[in-house]
Amino acid sequence: MARHEVESEVAGSVWKVEVVVGATVAKGDVLIILESMKMEIPVESPVNGVVEEILVKPEDQVAEEQVLVIVRS
Amino acid sequence: MSWESEADEIRRRRELAQVQGGESGISKQHSQGRLTIRERIDALLDPGSFEEQGLATAVPDYDDEGRIREFVPANYVLGFGKIDGRRIAVGGEDFTLKGGSPNPTGLRKSVYAENMACHYKVPLVRLLEGGGGSVKGSGKPGTSWGDPVFNEPRFRIIADAMGQVPVVSAALGAVAGFPAGRLVASHFSVMTKETAQVMTGGPALVERALGTKLTKAQLGGAAIHAKSGVVDNLADDELDAFRQIRRFLSYLPAHVNERAPRHSCTDPVERMEDELIRIVPRESNKAFNARLILDMVMDAGSVFELGASFGKGQICALARLSGQSVGVMINNNKIYAGSMTAQAAQKYRRFVELCDLFHLPIVNFVDQPGFMIGPEAEKAGTIRFGMAAVSAAVQSVVPWAVIQVHKGFGVATAAHYAPDAYVLAWPSVESGALPLEGGVAVAFQKEIAAAPDPEAKRKELEDMLRARRNPYARAESFSVHEMIDPRETRPYLCRWIEWIQPLLETLKGPVRFGIRP
Repeated sequence: MARHEVESEVAGSVWKVEVVVGATVAKGDVLIILESMKMEIPVESPVNGVVEEILVKPEDQVAEEQVLVIVRS
Repeated sequence: MSWESEADEIRRRRELAQVQGGESGISKQHSQGRLTIRERIDALLDPGSFEEQGLATAVPDYDDEGRIREFVPANYVLGFGKIDGRRIAVGGEDFTLKGGSPNPTGLRKSVYAENMACHYKVPLVRLLEGGGGSVKGSGKPGTSWGDPVFNEPRFRIIADAMGQVPVVSAALGAVAGFPAGRLVASHFSVMTKETAQVMTGGPALVERALGTKLTKAQLGGAAIHAKSGVVDNLADDELDAFRQIRRFLSYLPAHVNERAPRHSCTDPVERMEDELIRIVPRESNKAFNARLILDMVMDAGSVFELGASFGKGQICALARLSGQSVGVMINNNKIYAGSMTAQAAQKYRRFVELCDLFHLPIVNFVDQPGFMIGPEAEKAGTIRFGMAAVSAAVQSVVPWAVIQVHKGFGVATAAHYAPDAYVLAWPSVESGALPLEGGVAVAFQKEIAAAPDPEAKRKELEDMLRARRNPYARAESFSVHEMIDPRETRPYLCRWIEWIQPLLETLKGPVRFGIRP
């Protein structure tokens, strides 16, 4: 059971949270959509697993390398 | 009387020089998950191709009768060898001896590595693991101090080699001080994820100077340097590092007086991938996977990305097109819309210079929204690095093909065109001084402010200007060579590769350019 911290690659704001805690996700599934530089940036799960924790909510400002979601695989 | 006994002695000394740090030194190296330098060289090269230089180099200790009391091998192994049948020079520290910190003959051999590569006009591969100088090593009483005044600076050849032959370095253990300098003085550098650390000064120096206690990994592990740009690529393990080195060299000539190589190609030049017609979303603010475009257009399986985790808004890769080695770039719209940050600009300039030096044609897919803006970008000095990237492009001496994929805004877009570029445009292209969204807010500031509903007014103006866009105008005016169906990209580019062949023959030799911003 590995714990994966999914980080934001950009500074921006949270537009949508596409998953809930406990959800089963596949590698490449969209977890969160950020908005940055007028682009909608999907944040994808790096692994097949279960969403353990969601650390942000819509309209939150996020920084580069900030942990957004924790996925357990 | 023959010289048989001396010949025996020569062979004995060669054997002594091969023992490295002995069984204990070697097993310690293995227990830490690392290969010895001789194992590394064998794993890197074509089997059986190593031709060692300085077979009997050592730091011996003689007794009063001139008999060897101790024979410590030079702790740098050097020689020629072959990669895919082509000769290269290869060298590296023997970490099983004195932790790789150079002993006197080891140092001489390491300094000779660059000379050897330049003299024989072959690529240089450095397999690095070791520290720099030691205070213990400097001047015993009665010996000469320092280098003679007439010596050429030791680093001169390291700098010069960068303009003459491909130089590749791998960090395969702790690399600190001088070897860390060697690592970055390369056209391509790679470090192993788990077993390598790269530091200008190691933990003991840092603690003494700054009072901060940090491990080697915290100071200079893979997580640090993937982002610092000190290394280009990370490798899963040593064998992966060697695979990446062999692959990198396959795209380059052996030296600057050769043309860029062209291999045979089995991927049909007329191949048209259907997915290209829909990969750029019609909604301008939707992200897409830019790397897929490179995979679909270039020769199948030929894309080798450099520096994926540094300056991530700009993707740079070596690849082949109809068998011809090329440099290929595309903006990564998922990172700040692909805008040119200070890091992306540094990566861009360095990549264009690499292609110029080794005469690689450049294929550039443009989706450039402009320089990165905002307080962080200003602090990072973005515009300076950005203009250096622009300068590199406009002074580039290799043939360029530019594919206008999506956005092309502002001064940063000038970094995507070299003189005489062959320019193709996809129907998804949008260009101008500023993107509509920000541009409308600036140009119609008063009109928007005066409107009863400013937000609605802004949107109305944006929609009106968007509707007026005509992607065909540039093709009509011959300000691009062709507007194409995105699926036609590969056939068009492969034809261009044939057109530039005579030009590539003329590009041999060193390159020069002046100071860039």
